[in-house]
Amino acid sequence: MAQIAEPRRIAGLRRPADRRTVVAVGGTLVALALVVSVGDPGRIAWVRTFFVIFGSLLIQALPFVLLGALAAALVEVFVPIGVFEKLGDFPRPLQLPAAALAGLAFPICECGSVPVARRLMQRGLMPSAAVTFMLAAPVLNPVVIASTFVAFRGRTTLWTMVGGRFLLGMLVAIAVGWVIGNRSKDDLLKPNPEEVDEHLLELGRPEARWRRFFVHLGNDFLFMGRYLLLGATIAAAIQTFLPTSLLTGLAERQVISILAMMALAAALSLCSESDAFVAASFVQFGPSAMLGFLVFGPMVDLKLVSLYAGTFRRGFARTVVLVAAAATFVGALWVGVAFG
Amino acid sequence: MSDAVVARTGTAVVAESRPRRRWSPGGLAGALVLASWAGLFWFLWISGREAFYPTRTDWVVPIAAVLLTAATVGRLASARVVAPKPLAARELWIMGLMVVPVVLVLFAPVTTLGTFSAGKRAGFSGVGFAAPAGDIGSGELTLIDVAAAETSPEGERALAKRAGESVSFVGFVSIRDDTPADEFLLARYVVTCCVADATIAEVRVVNVTPGQFANEDWVQVTGTIFPIGREVIVDASDIAQVERPDHPYLTP
Repeated sequence: MAQIAEPRRIAGLRRPADRRTVVAVGGTLVALALVVSVGDPGRIAWVRTFFVIFGSLLIQALPFVLLGALAAALVEVFVPIGVFEKLGDFPRPLQLPAAALAGLAFPICECGSVPVARRLMQRGLMPSAAVTFMLAAPVLNPVVIASTFVAFRGRTTLWTMVGGRFLLGMLVAIAVGWVIGNRSKDDLLKPNPEEVDEHLLELGRPEARWRRFFVHLGNDFLFMGRYLLLGATIAAAIQTFLPTSLLTGLAERQVISILAMMALAAALSLCSESDAFVAASFVQFGPSAMLGFLVFGPMVDLKLVSLYAGTFRRGFARTVVLVAAAATFVGALWVGVAFG
Repeated sequence: MSDAVVARTGTAVVAESRPRRRWSPGGLAGALVLASWAGLFWFLWISGREAFYPTRTDWVVPIAAVLLTAATVGRLASARVVAPKPLAARELWIMGLMVVPVVLVLFAPVTTLGTFSAGKRAGFSGVGFAAPAGDIGSGELTLIDVAAAETSPEGERALAKRAGESVSFVGFVSIRDDTPADEFLLARYVVTCCVADATIAEVRVVNVTPGQFANEDWVQVTGTIFPIGREVIVDASDIAQVERPDHPYLTP
């Protein structure tokens, strides 16, 4: 057994799927289809509520995940890294704001922005600017702005949410970059980060761009989709089971509501292209708490912290978490005081 | 771009055999997941099933159907690779998990939010919708007007001026533990973006024959409206059971 396990471990692969796994997965899905169509669990009130909320979140948010994956794949495959490096041509005081605003031109999600930032640092861009870009791109990109607009359309807080997310996201990213200051790339990057390009490994040799594009698109969609699935499940469970009085009680205390929504965003690990729909579903909470969710989530969540830990030296994740949390909290609180 | 590898040896040109491509299990499984979601969006588009999204955001559905179909075709076309990696069993289970929502939506009978959620959803006023008092002060009153009146003191005053007018509302019956036998709440969900952000619009209907209607019955109530502060009462002159509307959710 150990002899079999060893090569798998070396290949970085858990137990490979065989015919039995395929049958088990397929059989489970068929059984589920039979159960829901014959048993009609929707007759049970809480099941129906959970199911409708869960389904609606996914159906509204998934197209934006796909758009985000599409944009990220376009940037990854068709935009040369040299384009990002032009950020280094800006005067130093302008590099951080320019890096933050670059997210508008390069719509990549939070998972995609980490390797881009690492490559930018390795290619000589000021590390603080690379970090600013890494944190700002998932908040400031056009797909995220569009999804936030769609999610809050029709509410009086629409422009507070869209504009607030943009501005606060930019300010928080700049604040983290400013705290990083003049630290060199050697201070920040792990010495031998894994340079595994899984797509290249699988394809075996440089491939046509269209192939790489669709491989990236499919993989990003599946990677982000699973977090959306988890987020939609948790959000639907909260909406179905948590007493309204508890949510309203939290929402009424501004400081606690902001902290609670920031913590929720970090725990849910949603993709920034779809998180606005989840935030908007917490109708009991005010704009400041929702902004806390929408700005903090794309910068710090469970999956990102593990990505940071794998890419950067010890202490970097702690710096990002602390500075982003403090800046987001203060900014959201200010919005709460200014706009109610 | 040709896949053939060409080597020049002097004047002779020797075309090596094209590297053999095989299906990548991960690529195939990914294409299947994409295809299942594409199928779901085509189904929603063609069937017009609106249990999960309001008319305001229904444009998302055709766009997603087309894009997901294109992504499926592209992923399938790029799934034949030179050196396919085996797919981990865990990864396959995760991909199967991503198809679960598709199965649920396709195979579960059509359903919408009902009374279970009614007591848990926020009132319309808590959400911050724009509701011009002018719209409430004139024209035929709707449940949206009644709900929107809660959003501002001006709205409340505008609705109060309509006291004694005749109204006709369609909604579902919601009976709580403390609801008197000759009353029920007539409710309807108001959805702006997706059903997850639904809020409730409801009026108290009085002058009801006890036991005539049960929770979640869809009815049309005709009667006289009496807004009293934030509570709105309809003195029913006629209550008729109706089919669930094609668009069960209201959109402001």
